[in-house]
Amino acid sequence: MFKSPNQVKTMWVRLGLLAAVLVLGAGVTQAGKDSGYYGYGQAASPEQIAGWDIDVRPDGLGLPEGSGTAEEGEWIYEEKCASCHGSFGEGVDGYPSLAGGEGTLSGDGRPHKTIGSYWNYTSTVFDYINRAMPYTAPRSLEPDEVYSLTAYLLFMNYIIDDETFELNQDTLATVRLPNEPNFIPDERPDTANTRCMSDCRDPAAIEIKSQASPSLSEELAAQQGEVSDTVVESQPAVVTVGKSVYDRSCMLCHGSGLAGAPKVGDVDGWRARIAAGSATLYKHAIEGYQGEAGVMPAKGGFMNLSDDDVKAAVDYMVQESQ
Amino acid sequence: MNKQAELDSLLQQVAVSGENLKGADRRDFLRKGLTFLGAASATAAAAHIPAVKAALPPREPAYGKALGKPVLFAPYGSPSEYESHVQRRTVEWLTPDRISSISFTPLADLKGIITPSGVMFERYHAGLPDIKPQEHHLMIHGMVDRPIILSMDDLMRFPSVSKIHFVECPANGGMEWRGAQMNRLQFSHGMIGCAEWTGVLLSTLLEEVGVKPEGKWVLAEGADGSHMSRSIPLEKALDDTLVVYAQNGEMLRPEQGYPVRLVNPGWEGNTSIKWLRRLEVGDQPWYHREETSKYTDLMPDGRSREFTFVQECNSVVTNPCPEKPMMKPGKVWVEGLAWSGRGKIKHVDVSFDGGVTWREAKFTSEVFPRALTRFGLEWNWQGQPAMIQSRAIDDTGFVQPTYGQLRAARGENSIYHKNAIHTWKVNADGSVVNVQIS
Repeated sequence: MFKSPNQVKTMWVRLGLLAAVLVLGAGVTQAGKDSGYYGYGQAASPEQIAGWDIDVRPDGLGLPEGSGTAEEGEWIYEEKCASCHGSFGEGVDGYPSLAGGEGTLSGDGRPHKTIGSYWNYTSTVFDYINRAMPYTAPRSLEPDEVYSLTAYLLFMNYIIDDETFELNQDTLATVRLPNEPNFIPDERPDTANTRCMSDCRDPAAIEIKSQASPSLSEELAAQQGEVSDTVVESQPAVVTVGKSVYDRSCMLCHGSGLAGAPKVGDVDGWRARIAAGSATLYKHAIEGYQGEAGVMPAKGGFMNLSDDDVKAAVDYMVQESQ
Repeated sequence: MNKQAELDSLLQQVAVSGENLKGADRRDFLRKGLTFLGAASATAAAAHIPAVKAALPPREPAYGKALGKPVLFAPYGSPSEYESHVQRRTVEWLTPDRISSISFTPLADLKGIITPSGVMFERYHAGLPDIKPQEHHLMIHGMVDRPIILSMDDLMRFPSVSKIHFVECPANGGMEWRGAQMNRLQFSHGMIGCAEWTGVLLSTLLEEVGVKPEGKWVLAEGADGSHMSRSIPLEKALDDTLVVYAQNGEMLRPEQGYPVRLVNPGWEGNTSIKWLRRLEVGDQPWYHREETSKYTDLMPDGRSREFTFVQECNSVVTNPCPEKPMMKPGKVWVEGLAWSGRGKIKHVDVSFDGGVTWREAKFTSEVFPRALTRFGLEWNWQGQPAMIQSRAIDDTGFVQPTYGQLRAARGENSIYHKNAIHTWKVNADGSVVNVQIS
């Protein structure tokens, strides 16, 4: 009987559990003590395992039920991905580019690594979207959406050319990426220096090939509030609760204007909002708000923040935007 | 009168007045005086009186003529406020935001081989999660006899071990592949830290669940928003991989994976999954994003090395460095750090002339396998320009390569695993600059 890799995986889980229950599989492992020697913890049930067991392998093992096409993926991509990755997968403001770059891996130019030019397996695309994307809302996509987005990214990279090709548990692993053959095992150690102690080289041949720019580093240090290491400044940096919450939970969108968020420091953008009053701003930030330009998720999606934390962050943003 | 002088004068008056009183009056005075003094000290502390630079004898410094703070002034202590310049820093242009980003260890100001937990470099792929230990669980499943879920209490019942190891991001120094760029030791080598890690050997947990004969790899996965995942060969998992809950004698800092992380000694840091929630045994690697798209090493011919786990032998001089310029001519204690993911450091040699002649340095710390090792040697600097290098050799006989050797083998586009001999140029004025030489 044919079994999809996923069914085989489920079977392993069940077999494992059966073995544990019957104490049949409690044989000695590679070395040392019998399994279950300490007996700490609880047995993991198949339902518990299924909830966290999200990983997918190149052979398709671990793929959930579901399906999607590039046609469907385009709309999801525009809504949930394009603000960072660009409508054509070109990448925006330093966020990763997802398409293009074919033929750039060798030669003199800078390599442009994308799904099409660099990645080795289709499964990795599915697995990564499913485990970590969208960046601000990981684990929020349904399997059909992940299949559709994977299909769209394959289409965007000219890996598949049929917008209606159905990606699912059985077809995904059949789609191969062009760079797959170009991955090789670790070849290190691949250098063979020797321990010479004297007359190791001609002093006259020593030439400085490159030198770091001190000014660059000083600018960086200055940005981060440091004058010099030799000056003992006893004034510790004052970090307010608001700024701290902002840095961790709000800056991603409000620092960049991502997803229609008003940027901190954008006086014009904040004027009307500030005029609406603190109570309204607090309410929108805590409970969430559908604005004209975008959506403010309740507490920015960071539900572990207290209301006071959120208010402090709002105060900080207001203070910085007047 | 400045605040320091004012305080000194008050203290003097209190002391003199007290001497002239007797019996009950004196005791009463002392009670009041102590209250008064306490208030004066608090005011002084709040005003941040600058440190006195020349508290030389015969003068008695103020802190010798007053009472200090009581116990529990800080129930959990912090570094002296005069050390507030010792902090992690980031390079803003490296990443588009600070959520998926990295900060660097301030190596120039650290001593010995243990990195204080509070300044150990950070690497997050989806920000720092806030995890309550009572809500956190570690699930171990896959090709095992007995899949289990462990609470933190369960995990901490297993036999524990403590080991000193470095954890280093494979991108440490990666900005230098195409030429000298970062003029701070913190940025050129600061994606590393070394700590005492306490936890359970992964082999203990794998024995407990019983790995099936076909099990060959272990997938480790984090609980944070990135659910960061890496495939680890079973051989390593059964050798020295640690499931860690404590660092430097206390529970892990949130930034370092609280409440539980993996530590793969000597291997690239991203395999030491933080906020660990799941370990799955399988018969093949998973080829996830952080072991394919990232953390693979592109070679000049367009091929890429995968599963380049080991952090090879490396070293750097930490004094002098751009942050610690030469102060004045004379005898200088030059020191630095060496480490190897393959084992112990065997020798470190230092050159002051760009690699023409070398002198062997002494080890000034304990030498542990896969740990930072501190070396030092005396140098008589007479104000001449110099080019300082260090070259480490590990107990496999591997000699740290030159930039030329590294580029000949790997080109300039491999991003990771740059462990070339580093050069600090010392100028006649004592300033120190990061350079690369032919």
